[in-house]
Amino acid sequence: MYDVGLKPSMLRSLIRQYLPAANQPLDLNTSCFELPKLVSVLQTHRLLSELDSHSVGPKLINAWKLAVDDWLGCLLSLLSSDMSDKCWVGICLLGVTCQECSNQRFLTSYSVWLDKLLSHIQPPSESQLVKIASCTSLSDLLTRLARFPEEGAASLLYTLITFFPASIHHSYDKVEAAIASKILSGKYSTITLKKLGYCLALLPKSKGDKDSWSLMMQKILISINDHLNEAFQGVEEEAKSDDARRLLVTPGKDLPSPLGGHTSLESGSYNRTSSERLPTATISTLMFCCCKMLTSSYPVQVTAPVRSILALVERLLTVDGSLPPTMLPFMNSVQRELICSELPVLHAYSLELLIAIIKGMRRQLLPHSAYVVRVVTRYFKICALPELRIKLYSIIRMLLLSMGVGMAIYLAPDVIDNSFSDLNSPGGEDFEISPVNTGPVLPQPSNRKRKHGTKTGSVEKQEGANPKGGESNIHQMTPINVKVAALDSLELLLTVGSASKSDSWRSSIDSLVIRTAINSCKRGWGNVENNVFLPNESASLWADFQLSSLRALLASFLAPARVRPPYLSQGLELFRRGKQEAGTKLGQFCGYALFALEVLIHPRALPLDDFYSAYHNPTDGASNRFPENTYSGSQKQNTLFFSAAQRTDEGAIKSHNDDLYNKWLENEHNAVEDMKDKTSRPNDSSLANVLEVSEQEPAAANADVHMRGEDEMVVQPRRLEEPIPKSQEIVSAKVDKSPPAVGTNLEGGEIESKKALSASDSLNDIDHDMLSGVNKVDDFDTVSRKTSSTLPNVEKGSSSMAHLESESSMDSFPNIVDADPDTDSDSV
Amino acid sequence: MNVVIASSSIDGGIGCWDLQTGAEQLRYKTCASPPHGLASIGSSFLACSQLRDPSATSGHVLYWSWSKPQAQVKSFPAEPIKPIAANSEGSYIVGGGSSGDIYFWEVATGRLLKKWHAHYRAVTCLVFSEDDSLLISGSEDGCVRVWSLFMIFDDVRQQQASHLYEYSFTEHTLRVTDIAMGYGGGNAIIVSASEDRTCKVWSLSRGRLLRNVVFPSIIDAIAIDSGEHVFYAGGRDGKIYIAALNAESSPSNNYGLHIIGSLTDQRPVTCMAYSAEGNLLLSGSEDGMIRVWDMKTKNIVRMFRHSKGPVNNILIVRLSYPLNRSESKVQASSRRHEFSLHPPLEKYANSSDEDIDNKTIITLPDTIDLPSYLSSQLINDHIKQLQQQGSSAAAEMEVKRLKLDGQRSMEMFQQLKKVYDNLQEFCVNELLDGQPMDGSKGN
Repeated sequence: MYDVGLKPSMLRSLIRQYLPAANQPLDLNTSCFELPKLVSVLQTHRLLSELDSHSVGPKLINAWKLAVDDWLGCLLSLLSSDMSDKCWVGICLLGVTCQECSNQRFLTSYSVWLDKLLSHIQPPSESQLVKIASCTSLSDLLTRLARFPEEGAASLLYTLITFFPASIHHSYDKVEAAIASKILSGKYSTITLKKLGYCLALLPKSKGDKDSWSLMMQKILISINDHLNEAFQGVEEEAKSDDARRLLVTPGKDLPSPLGGHTSLESGSYNRTSSERLPTATISTLMFCCCKMLTSSYPVQVTAPVRSILALVERLLTVDGSLPPTMLPFMNSVQRELICSELPVLHAYSLELLIAIIKGMRRQLLPHSAYVVRVVTRYFKICALPELRIKLYSIIRMLLLSMGVGMAIYLAPDVIDNSFSDLNSPGGEDFEISPVNTGPVLPQPSNRKRKHGTKTGSVEKQEGANPKGGESNIHQMTPINVKVAALDSLELLLTVGSASKSDSWRSSIDSLVIRTAINSCKRGWGNVENNVFLPNESASLWADFQLSSLRALLASFLAPARVRPPYLSQGLELFRRGKQEAGTKLGQFCGYALFALEVLIHPRALPLDDFYSAYHNPTDGASNRFPENTYSGSQKQNTLFFSAAQRTDEGAIKSHNDDLYNKWLENEHNAVEDMKDKTSRPNDSSLANVLEVSEQEPAAANADVHMRGEDEMVVQPRRLEEPIPKSQEIVSAKVDKSPPAVGTNLEGGEIESKKALSASDSLNDIDHDMLSGVNKVDDFDTVSRKTSSTLPNVEKGSSSMAHLESESSMDSFPNIVDADPDTDSDSV
Repeated sequence: MNVVIASSSIDGGIGCWDLQTGAEQLRYKTCASPPHGLASIGSSFLACSQLRDPSATSGHVLYWSWSKPQAQVKSFPAEPIKPIAANSEGSYIVGGGSSGDIYFWEVATGRLLKKWHAHYRAVTCLVFSEDDSLLISGSEDGCVRVWSLFMIFDDVRQQQASHLYEYSFTEHTLRVTDIAMGYGGGNAIIVSASEDRTCKVWSLSRGRLLRNVVFPSIIDAIAIDSGEHVFYAGGRDGKIYIAALNAESSPSNNYGLHIIGSLTDQRPVTCMAYSAEGNLLLSGSEDGMIRVWDMKTKNIVRMFRHSKGPVNNILIVRLSYPLNRSESKVQASSRRHEFSLHPPLEKYANSSDEDIDNKTIITLPDTIDLPSYLSSQLINDHIKQLQQQGSSAAAEMEVKRLKLDGQRSMEMFQQLKKVYDNLQEFCVNELLDGQPMDGSKGN
């Protein structure tokens, strides 16, 4: 398989097997369809590369060279054949050869190939396929040529000039006219029109100055405007078109010549008479062209007519096919139906244009951002088509990312309203459990009409999957891909904007996210490769949904908050389960999530390198710091710590860490005693709404404390004897001076955590079997007394409106991992 | 390369040094700046507000390109501007007026996009947030305010809101001298220093005071270390205090709560900058020197002499190209064109020219088109086409259609043939029956 020596003979056998001989007729149905195989073999084994010339003998080199010569001979004879099918084969393969052959060979023979290819483009009689193939091969040849900088640039220019007798620059207007007339006629397929639109957008680059870009943009906008004026007669007020016009053309300035020399109205009416259709294709191509102009690079700075583009977008989005109240309904219903049927496409392109503006303007959108937000939020309220909603969500995400916190504060209510309604509506995750579906693999679309695209496809899918859902429900169901978009937007909102002014919405979003995640995962994991019979999207869609819900969940845990994430335990459970799905994206993500949450559980704010060696004063009560090292310790640090326990300085340096917020917020409360008072308060309803939470939170907490002990014990068995006496000692010492005169606040918080952990250390020693009997904890007075100080935190952590005083302890509190003990010990 | 730029309140120009090598670069001439008046605009050029006479009713703002010592653009704002700041992209400049107004200019056009009354007394410092979406301003009246730029530009929302700012921190009792902002977007901290001898740490997310640190002296400059472990506060007593953010401090300290230690400069510290690369702290002092401290060893590792007067601005700017003198000429010629594009800042918001209002000068994003080969894909496409045309089902239909066509043609042919036969028979009969004249029978 890797033997270089075989390659020449492989190539020869390929020639024999696949290439039609010049004198035999080509059998289209057999040999022709094998071409892809031929190409893949050529590319896999690099049969044309003539590589490794240093490592093989001259004999092989020669043999290979001869074989490639033969190959090219064959191709060239095919190229010069009269039969267009043979010709086609030859041209296509020559293109592949341009890509695959060795540099030396390419340089020596490309001019011959070029001539051959050109000869097939010019005569008008050639078949369409041959022409297309020639153009493509030519493009490949030029692409390859462009890689040789010295000769490349010159010859590229040369070929361009020979191909276009006058270079593009000189025939700029002609090219523009040619492309414009094709676009304005609107008679080509969507793909062709898009390509043409792209070419038109790139055209100003050939001049490369500021004015040609602006002029082209203005022309295109005017053309779109004219088309819209005509199309929207009767569904929008007359004043709108005047407004739009005024933005486009400055009063007192000359109107630019119309796009491509045509007056667009002419061609528009021409189009109108030829077929009773809206010029949707033309309008959307022109809008696509605008998008490309805004997002492709350009050599100089340009002046973008932002306001008029935004006005165009707004104008399009406002038209929904209903008649304006002030107008007489002189439009007949056929025309209205026509407009309504085309509107979704136009709306989609308007949103694309909006996206392009945001991309193109970046930070400079600022003066217009309020306007953009208003357009988007207003449209969000009326938009019901799934595809458009997905686009809207992506616009929201772009805005959040590019405009940052300042935007997030104000955009949050809209994001939340919309995603709430999308995620709460029946749909995706519910029909999966309908009795019709047996397996855990989700949507089983009853119809296979995939050609409609996702817009209608996903709705139909659900209809098919949930026949018992009742007719009335079907229309209100939100397709999964919309839910995915909503979740992604929530995730971003949480990451960008949850720190500022999020009090009003934070708790509801947290509960929405955990609910969605639990629902999405309760029936097992969506598998992308599950079923070859299903269209690919439907299976992967579910996996996407799960992934998005878990991502949003992670964001909700990590986003800054004043209280401990209330659903952390369920979330961890989900992530642990998900992690076991090895080999999937989801498994990978869950692994990452668990890793990221570790910081949440062991908060650390490490000093810069060697900070303490420079500033730490050894007499400065290193012993005071001793116990909190225990608390903060990730396990690695614990080992360090204990070995360095006698040399306290170093120990303090190495394992110093703490949570920023604790310290500050402890300023506001001096509450060790307070906390103790509250300990006895029963743990009540605050947890009731927590899904599937264990009923006995205190028990869970105890178990946890114990778990930690267990973990540590397993990892570092030699610690067992050492720490107990010490930590207890220190705890008692600390408690004694717990209302310290100076710096109460800072110290206070630390005491708590110290106790919590020293308690766990003692647990370690006292009862290794505690795991089995959690309730036994109460029997141990010492233990319960110490752990008790942690309990009130648990209570308040889950009641989201915690008192300010307790926040600090919340944050500082050493992570009650309400973990299922089994999973936890599994992971050890 | 990282360069240090510094300016002074007396005319010493703007000094520029390579932070790594210590080599002095170009000195930009004629600059006497107020504190916080120096800014690097998106590292494409330098801007500095000028205030020669404190009692003057007008001041000006100068631009220097990196490659030329002479100031190239001079703007005259409506009132004296002291602090200026630019967003990271360099597309906007904000300036704080002595009346308490904040001015917001677009760099590319020089247009004054917004002006709003921010404080009761003169604005003393301006800082952009990490994501450029918030602006933090400090004032002589002791007030620190946080502005969302989105709100500033949303006229509709402004009418509904009771105030324009997001937060207004009023705990300082005297002039705010410096503001520094930490890492973390909306969850960041803001540290402000004031003439009331305190530095205060604010939470941006909660909008309230987190910590108040009282110093033995007035603090004129602050810098946060990049780990946000401590912040450094430069005092008028010539000491740089190290105050705890994240670090713990013992209550029994010589200086006071939260203050961990100090470095001793000889002269009052007037400005500071922190470089995360190498953990360096730069301090400017009244004697015109800039000292570079290695914060690991607490030693001065380098000194730059700037001028005789107090240094009151230090910035560390990362430049993407080297600023060598030899090369600066090449740069000059290539950059002059671009630089001349920046017009001076406008004095008044000029909303009469609607056309300009509607347009924005933008630099389109760089997109890279990777060359790709198409032939093998084309083969697949074409074959698909051919297969579609040649698929057996389609062929079958085609054959059927052709058969039908053939049949129909056959019938037509038969019919025509019949007609012809009839005609011929008729003609022949006519000819034979009538006069036996000879004539051809219709070819």
